[in-house]
Amino acid sequence: MIRLWCTQVLAIIHLEMKKTFFSRRGLWVYLLAFAPLLLFISHSIGAGHHRDQLERIARDHPIASEDLSAIQRGMTCGEVTQRLGEPYSQRRWHFRGEHNERREQSHCRYTDGKTELHLFFDNDNLTGIDRSEPNTLPQIAQIFAGVFQSYYLRLAVFFGCVGVFVNLFRGEMLDKSLHFYLLTPTRREVLLAGKYAAGLLATVVIFTSSTALQWLALLWQFDHTTVADFLASTGWGQFSSYLAVTALACVGYGSVFLAIGLLFRNPIIPIAVVLLWEGVNPFLPAVLKKISMIYYLQSLCPVAAAPGQDVPGFVHLLISPVQPAAKSMAVLGIVILTCVVLVAAARLSRRMEINYSTE
Amino acid sequence: MNEDRIILENVSRFYGEILGVNKVTLSIPPGITSLVGPNGSGKTTLMNLITGLVRPSRGRISVLGVDPSQPERLFRFVGYSTQFDAFPKGLTGSEFIYSFLRLSGRPAPECRKLTARAIEQVGLVEAADRKVAAYSKGMRQRIRLAQAIAHDPRVLILDEPLNGLDPLVRSETITLFKRYAAEGRHVVVSSHVLHEVDMISDQVVLMSGGYVVAEGRIRGVRSELQEERPMQFLIRCRQPNLLASRVFEHDHVVEARLLPEGAGVLVKTRDADAFCRVLNHLALAGIDIEGVVPADDNVHSVYEYLIGGEEATK
Repeated sequence: MIRLWCTQVLAIIHLEMKKTFFSRRGLWVYLLAFAPLLLFISHSIGAGHHRDQLERIARDHPIASEDLSAIQRGMTCGEVTQRLGEPYSQRRWHFRGEHNERREQSHCRYTDGKTELHLFFDNDNLTGIDRSEPNTLPQIAQIFAGVFQSYYLRLAVFFGCVGVFVNLFRGEMLDKSLHFYLLTPTRREVLLAGKYAAGLLATVVIFTSSTALQWLALLWQFDHTTVADFLASTGWGQFSSYLAVTALACVGYGSVFLAIGLLFRNPIIPIAVVLLWEGVNPFLPAVLKKISMIYYLQSLCPVAAAPGQDVPGFVHLLISPVQPAAKSMAVLGIVILTCVVLVAAARLSRRMEINYSTE
Repeated sequence: MNEDRIILENVSRFYGEILGVNKVTLSIPPGITSLVGPNGSGKTTLMNLITGLVRPSRGRISVLGVDPSQPERLFRFVGYSTQFDAFPKGLTGSEFIYSFLRLSGRPAPECRKLTARAIEQVGLVEAADRKVAAYSKGMRQRIRLAQAIAHDPRVLILDEPLNGLDPLVRSETITLFKRYAAEGRHVVVSSHVLHEVDMISDQVVLMSGGYVVAEGRIRGVRSELQEERPMQFLIRCRQPNLLASRVFEHDHVVEARLLPEGAGVLVKTRDADAFCRVLNHLALAGIDIEGVVPADDNVHSVYEYLIGGEEATK
């Protein structure tokens, strides 16, 4: 019997593959999945270009790193020039002050090929120093964690799963072609399992490949040795964790949206409710936080995405701190939630009827 | 007995406040059974109930002993060609048949063989590798029929199967139904084209407003109406006046009307069997009878008598 069910599930996956991977309706799923990839590729190209530019300037105007470090506020323009030479870029502004006195402000840029120094002079007095250093790999990993947790999981994977899983049944109801599945000697539970497996295969392939490519795009700007060192220390662990979290997000969200597509004629409202619930998760009390997919997914992320410094203080007060779940508990939580939802959906599917006229 | 029949016991189905079918009790034997009724009479609902696409609000259904809520058993021997004119996107005719055959768990070579046979049976060999989306209405009707018969079912349920077919294919399709019926299978056909039903049906189920108004062999149904609606016979003979006067002597004959230009006599009788015996006697007595044709012994007349002319012609 198990063999028959497996054959049927494979046949359903085969039927669904074309629709889930190549339908025009699913084009926006690819856009959602690969939008951050474009972001990271453009960031890598920009960062690489900037680094090359600084290295070229440093070759033309060589400056020692120690000399850059020695510059302090209060120095005069002459003292700075004496130490560093002429800046590779300089801008001056002349204007009248409050008492009609003549004032001059200038902005000079120096680089040793890695660090870029922005110096701000007010009437020949160094009043501001801004050091701009290229991102290190750990910093990039932090940026990735932020994008992954705030955009990728919460929006891209979420809505991607909406697009794929809700349509597995609801889309066929609207196309008036679901009855062909129901006219085969297939248990409804097996049909549900096959459709879920097809949706899961599609979303896991699309979203994990996007995650992997995003990761590659970020590493691309660094030299081989830096990348090899990073991967050898924490990189591979982080990489595989992100892939696993992406796949688990598809597993969990997929089951929820499959059930929604089966249960609701208009799935928009329940989807909005789930989105809201997942969105307000940081503000929920600790107990309620644990009844959401995003809590377990974030617990599995290898790098915590700290709230940005520009987040207002009162928002920090609203955020209820909660200890992330242990990794095993997080995986178990997602698996249990998925199983419960799928079992409920399977029971629902036995009562499913074809009534296209009301769709 | 149940193992050989499609049985509906007091089955009702409501869509909210709207009646689909109400208190339907049927026992459908092998052969061609036609569900006849105007649009909205409940034919499609009845077929959907038999195949489990909808569940009854009340009552019990059994198809050769199997509950329609068990598709894994039911569709091993049931094929259903629906009226829904939509298909999964992007499939060719043969891919469509093959893919859904694979869902039964049969091995790929067997599915390929069954696909080829089904496509040949409906005459779509040349169009088999074209996308179903590019098919004409008649071809889509045929590919649905091919899907229903591909696994060689013992019970074939067909919702308006002859719609959109050209005369040649229509005739071939009717031959196919007859062959299935001759092999002892169940063929349940819905139609609102009454003369077609008359040609092919072993028994009919007349429906109106969600109710079954009559069922059985068409002649049997007609006989039951004899008291209220006397049966009509058109008799062609050389002595219509004599024939009319002789038949009118019998109590069961309620009317004997001479047709214009000596075309014959139209006789209405409440006892068809007795009338046939009378005709035999008259023929032996020397009245030259050229032909006897039942004038209202068909589905159309029966339907008209039971439901009314307006609905019957819809």
